[in-house]
This record gives sequence, structure tokens and C-alpha cells, in this order.
Amino acid sequence: MSRFSGVLQLTDLDDFITPSQECIKPIESKVTKSSGTGSKISIQEDGSYFQIGADGKGQKLQEVEITLADCLACSGCITSAESVLVSQQNQEELFRVFEENRQLKLEGHWNKTKTIIVSVSVQPVLSLAYKCKLSPNDCAAKLATYFKMLGADMVVDMTVAQDLSLIEAQKEFIRRYRACEQDGNKHTLPMLASSCPGWVCYAEKTHGSYILPCISSTKSPQQIMGSLLKQWVGQKQSIYHITVMSCYDKKLEAAREDFADENTKERDVDCVITAIELEQMLLAANIDLAHLENSTFSQPWLMEDDHDISPMLYSHVGSGSGGYSDYIFIHSVMQLFGASRQNIQYKALRNPDFKEVVFERDGKVLLKFAIANGFRNIQNLVQKLKRGKSPYHYVEVMACPSGCLNGGAQVKPRTGQTAKEMIAELQKMYRNLPVATPEQSEIVKDLYDKWLGGQDSDKVNVILHTQYHAVEKVTHALNIKW
Amino acid sequence: MVKLELAQTLRKGSGRVWNVSWHPNGEALASCGEDRCIRIWGRDLLGKWGNKVVLTDGHKRTVRQVAWSPCGNFLASASFDATTCIWDRQGGEFECNATLEGHENEVKGVAWSRSGQFLATCSRDKSVWVWEVAEENEYDCAAVLQAHSQDVKKIAWHPAQDLLASASYDNTIKLFREDASDGDWICCGTLTGHASTVWGLSFEADGRRLVSCSDDSSLKVWRGYPAGNQEGVAVPEGESTWKCVCTVSGHHSGTIYDVAWCQRTGLIATACGDDAIRIFQEEAGGDEHAPSFGLVGAVERAHQQDVNCVAWSPTVTGLLASCSDDGDIKLWNVNEE
Repeated sequence: MSRFSGVLQLTDLDDFITPSQECIKPIESKVTKSSGTGSKISIQEDGSYFQIGADGKGQKLQEVEITLADCLACSGCITSAESVLVSQQNQEELFRVFEENRQLKLEGHWNKTKTIIVSVSVQPVLSLAYKCKLSPNDCAAKLATYFKMLGADMVVDMTVAQDLSLIEAQKEFIRRYRACEQDGNKHTLPMLASSCPGWVCYAEKTHGSYILPCISSTKSPQQIMGSLLKQWVGQKQSIYHITVMSCYDKKLEAAREDFADENTKERDVDCVITAIELEQMLLAANIDLAHLENSTFSQPWLMEDDHDISPMLYSHVGSGSGGYSDYIFIHSVMQLFGASRQNIQYKALRNPDFKEVVFERDGKVLLKFAIANGFRNIQNLVQKLKRGKSPYHYVEVMACPSGCLNGGAQVKPRTGQTAKEMIAELQKMYRNLPVATPEQSEIVKDLYDKWLGGQDSDKVNVILHTQYHAVEKVTHALNIKW
Repeated sequence: MVKLELAQTLRKGSGRVWNVSWHPNGEALASCGEDRCIRIWGRDLLGKWGNKVVLTDGHKRTVRQVAWSPCGNFLASASFDATTCIWDRQGGEFECNATLEGHENEVKGVAWSRSGQFLATCSRDKSVWVWEVAEENEYDCAAVLQAHSQDVKKIAWHPAQDLLASASYDNTIKLFREDASDGDWICCGTLTGHASTVWGLSFEADGRRLVSCSDDSSLKVWRGYPAGNQEGVAVPEGESTWKCVCTVSGHHSGTIYDVAWCQRTGLIATACGDDAIRIFQEEAGGDEHAPSFGLVGAVERAHQQDVNCVAWSPTVTGLLASCSDDGDIKLWNVNEE
């Protein structure tokens, strides 16, 4: 069972095609001076390839390595061999880094050790809390203990990054709306959410030129967290950054070249671990999360004011995917039309995963927003956009049905429960969390002032926004099949 | 026994002909193939079939299947160019008024539900899509079903319910239906038994049974057992269970590419890679839960090459159309001897 979202599974071609056939990545392997004809290649017991020249001498052939980043830049295969693709991002890699860091500390190589920080997003915590029958905050506190047992230096809450992402997305919407008002530029609206990497990857691979300009340039919370830790907190220390997320697609996002330092190639997020992987890790180590002590979260972005706190998870108004549509709608109605709208009600269309909300005045629709979750609704949205029949100003698009609470790598339902019952329970747990108000957060205000140089500085655009790249389809003879 | 008499050979264009589909009123036949064209054939005053219309501007690659809607007003065409076109003749001329995009690569099959409310497509991308007919010329994607692990070759709707069957290179047949509680489509059955690719499917007129054909050179007849059936077939979770009640083997010497269960006569016709067309009939007096089907007629060299498709006329008893890699479409009269 793949843990990528359905969108990415569909981008897969078929299983007869191994990466070597359809992969367009040029593989360079060093060939030592040709021995002319008569050389043979044999396969060793360990699976490695040996070239035996005419002179009888053997030479081990280099193995081809394909990284996640290569795959993102390619229109050929993807995800068919996920075990290969996610090799940089699995639990073994995590354990290796913890162990290496521990050794370095033991040997006193303090200049080489890293500060290992684990950023926790709310959806996987709820998933594990559901599975272990813990309260969300208890679950977060026990996860903090587990990561510290493994060797993490700090465990942090990602809410601050979600806040920044919402504020930036809302500002971006106003900019696009105004630009559209001025010159009627078709490519600025609708604005489409960008926080789901499954959706972004699908759009890049299959609908490049006409969809990409609509996708919000605002980084996802995971990548804002990456920038915050690596570029702000990481000024004085070397950081290894792990995120805890609800889907595998986030691993692809972390691997994008846009999210790595140009010079050092160091990524803003080094490793993504998901709820279901955490469940397996705990199981393998025979650890019952419920039996662990509670420990604290850190807030390293407060710099000298950093003090540990008990985990306090927050929800945001609206969907369990971060509440983009609600936040942008409520604040844009206020800013553009001076009207106050709270508790907005959506109208479900053909299915509960495609719903819309309008702001009307004097019978005229001034704003129309939608939430489209899951692949079939993405299809219907994309086809509407393509035919110029989309009535929307903003659409919160997520690849998984029911959004991020139902992420592809969340834990499976408890025995006797259906997936739908589980999602309903997760949604209830999410709704019961206290609600964050990003625009009122003192911490967020401080970060804009101290880190980003103000609300609308160039730094904001560089650090909190990103760009997308259409992937050209390459058609060559091998692709054509009858 | 039955006798197959060649009534007419239709030839136009070049390359293999993949599929033929009868209009529900039996007055027209649509064909498609390698030449990227869709042809519509009709009868002249003397009753001779001839090519009436050629639709050339819909697809960029091979057209793999065509299907008339139950109302007869629309023709859907599935192509290797990854799109499905919906044609209608509102202004007298056939026009492509909707293009369904979304499949990642070659679309292999297309079928309308009996109610006309749904259209299904299947593809080499392993997925089956259900489209809901919305407003005029609008088709909403109602489901993307990724139950198969390989290329999906063909799909068929149940004649009475909105139950969809799909045949795949993964050797299985899957059944899908809509979950009434939330409009989600779910896979409600997997039929295993074929030893190789399942190429074709056809429901019996009343929908109680389904026949499938395969690369393993056999036919299998499956019967649906609803919850509470008197035969005591276990029905997990209240879904109907489809059980293989008969395997017909030993008659074909190649891949069976298509099978058609005649709604009028109950005869089963097969299209085979050994260039033959064969007709099977259920043996009278058998146990309906363990029936036998016997070979009652065949034309060994029905075509010069692989026979790709067989289709029974919905209105004329015993009229069968076939098409082949050899580029021919043939009409046969199948009569009792």
C-alpha cells in the first residue's frame, strides 16, 4: 500500500517500466579506458556488477543512484519504487544521524555535532493520539520524550510556521486580487493553495503552464519552519531538522532544490518522518507511547528568551488542512469590503470534499472560495480552469480526500473502526483544540520585525515564498506503447 | 449447432480495426482503429451496409473503443492519446462536444451505464474513472478508482444496476459501485481465477451472470450471489459475492480478446487471436449454479489476423459484427442449423 497521495500514485506510469527505461535523468558513469570488445559483465552474489575485460581483469561497475530530487525534475517514473526513492528520508537515516551525533558528542567533537530539532505538525500528533488513546497535548509531550530519548536536542511545535503561512497567503491573495482588478490579468486568479506537495507536484507534471501561475507562491508550513530554523535559529549553530508530517508527499517537498541552500546544498528540512513510520518505530522498539513521561517543547526562535513549555497544540479556523480558505476569506472580506464574517458556512457540491462559500452584497457575488480535496475534485477543478469556467477567487486544494487529517501516512483505524469513523474522530479532536489567531500572535509579530525586517520587506518575499517549475513531458520511442 | 454466414465485409481506411459498437436502434454501427478515425456505418435502401460518416478530427492517436450511449444520442470514443471524446449530432453533423482528460496515458475502454447517468473509462495508467453526466456537455469526475495493479483493458456496466466491472492485465476482474451514504465509489469485489490478462467482459441480459475472456484461452462465467442467497454462498459485509460457476477451456488456441453475451439469444460469441470466431451456448437442463457451455459454432479463419472484437446487434436476432487486425469489419448471420 503506497503512502503517497492518490495524485502521486496516478502520476506513476506502470510497473513494466523500471526507472532505467523511462527515467530521463542522464546517468553518467565513469568508464575507465575501454578494453575494446570482448568484455563481459557478470553479476556478483551481492548483486553488484563486475565488468571483466578481455585481459581478464575485473572492475566493479558503479551503481546508479537516483535521488528524490532527480525524480521531481523528471516526467518519467515516479513513486513506483518508493523504497528506492525515499532512501534519504526514512527511519534508518534518522537513526543513523542520531547515532552519528551521539558518537561525535561522546568523542567531544563539539564543533562537528549538530543541534537536532524535531518540528511537529498537529495532524500526525492527532493521529497518534487517536491510536494510543491519549489527549493531543499528552501525546505531543510523550513524543517529545521519545525524540529526546533518540537524541533530539529540541522538539518544537510547527504552529508558528502555520501562522506565518496563513498570513503570507492572505497578503498574497489581496495582492493578486488587486492586480486582477487593475489589469484583469487572468493568471493571477483564482489563487490555488500551495501547501500540499502532492497537488503541486501533480500540477507541475501535468498542467504546467496554465495552472502554475495560479498556485500561491507562499511556502508551506513545513518549508517556512525549515527556513525559520535553518536561517534564523541556525545563524549560530548547525542544525539537523526533522519534521513530523501526515503524508509521504512531504518528503518530496523537502527534497526540492528550491528548499536547499544554493551553496552548501543543505536542505531546510533534512528528514521527514510520518505518523505511520513513528508508529512502526515505536512498535519495533517495543515502546508504548502512553507509558512515557511527558517532556517539554522548545521555542528556539525566541533566541535568548527561549524557555521550554508544555506542549499546547492549536487548531486554525476552518479545515483540518490548516484552514487556508477560511483564514483568507474572513480577512479578505474585511480588508476588501469592510465586512465582518465569522463562522462561514460552506455549501457542499457533488460530494462533501468539494464545497464552496460566497460573499455577496446586494445580490452580487463578490468573492467565491472553495475547498477541493482528493483527486477527483482536483480533476474537476483543473478541467473547469482549463475551459475558463472556474468561478472561484481562491481554492484550497489538497490531494487527500478530507484533507491533511486524512494524510496518506496517518495511522490506520483502530480495529473495528472504519476509515470514515476515524476521520470523523480526528476532525472532532482537531475542533476541540484551542484556536490560534495568527494575526494576533506576539511571536509572529516579533519574527516579522526581528527576522524578516518588517511585514512587506524583500526578505519576506525571498524567505517565505517560492516558485514552481513545469516539468516538460519528454516523448521518445520508449514511451509509446500499443 | 449454429451456422455463421458471412453477410458482408466492410472495409475502408487502413490499419487494424479495434472495436465496433452497435447503435441501440440497430440501424448504425460505429467502428474505430489504428487510423485514428471513427467511422459510422449504415444501411442503404437495398439493405447493404456502407460507410456514412468519418470522424477524423477527434484523436491524435489510435482510437481503441467506441460506445453509443443508451439513448443513442451520444457516441463516446476512447483513445491512446489519453482522452475520451463525446460526440453528438445536434446540428445534424457529428461534433465532438466534450473531451474528457485526466488519464495519464492510453485510454483502453469506455462504457455508458444503462441509466446513461455515468460513463466509465479505463486506462494503461491502471485506473478506472467514473464520470457523471452533469449539465449539457459537462462531465464531472465522480471517482478515480485505483484498485488494479496493472493496465485496465476493458470495463462493462451491469444491465440494470450502476455496478461496474473492469478487466485487467493483473489477471483480475474488479467490481465497483457507488456508496449511497456519501457518493464515494468503492471496489466491492475482486474476481480471481484467470491465469493471465483478462481482456473482455460481458453481462448476461438480466445481469445475474458475467462472462469474461482471457489470455489464458479460457472463458469464465461468474454468478452474483446477493446477501441471504439460498445457496448458502458466504456474503461478507453484505456485498454480493461473485463466484465462478463455469470455466470454458480447450476450445481456443490463442488469446481471447473479446466476448459478447447476446441479449436476445443468450449465445456467447468470442473473438480470438487464432483468427477464429466461436459461438457458445449453455447446455439445456443443467444446474444453474454449475452450468455447462458448449461450442455450437465456429469460423476458423473468420479473419486474416487477430479478431479484436465481436458485437451482437441489439435489434436483429443473430446478427454479429466482428473486426480484426486485418482491417476488415465483417457482419455475420448466426442461425440455428
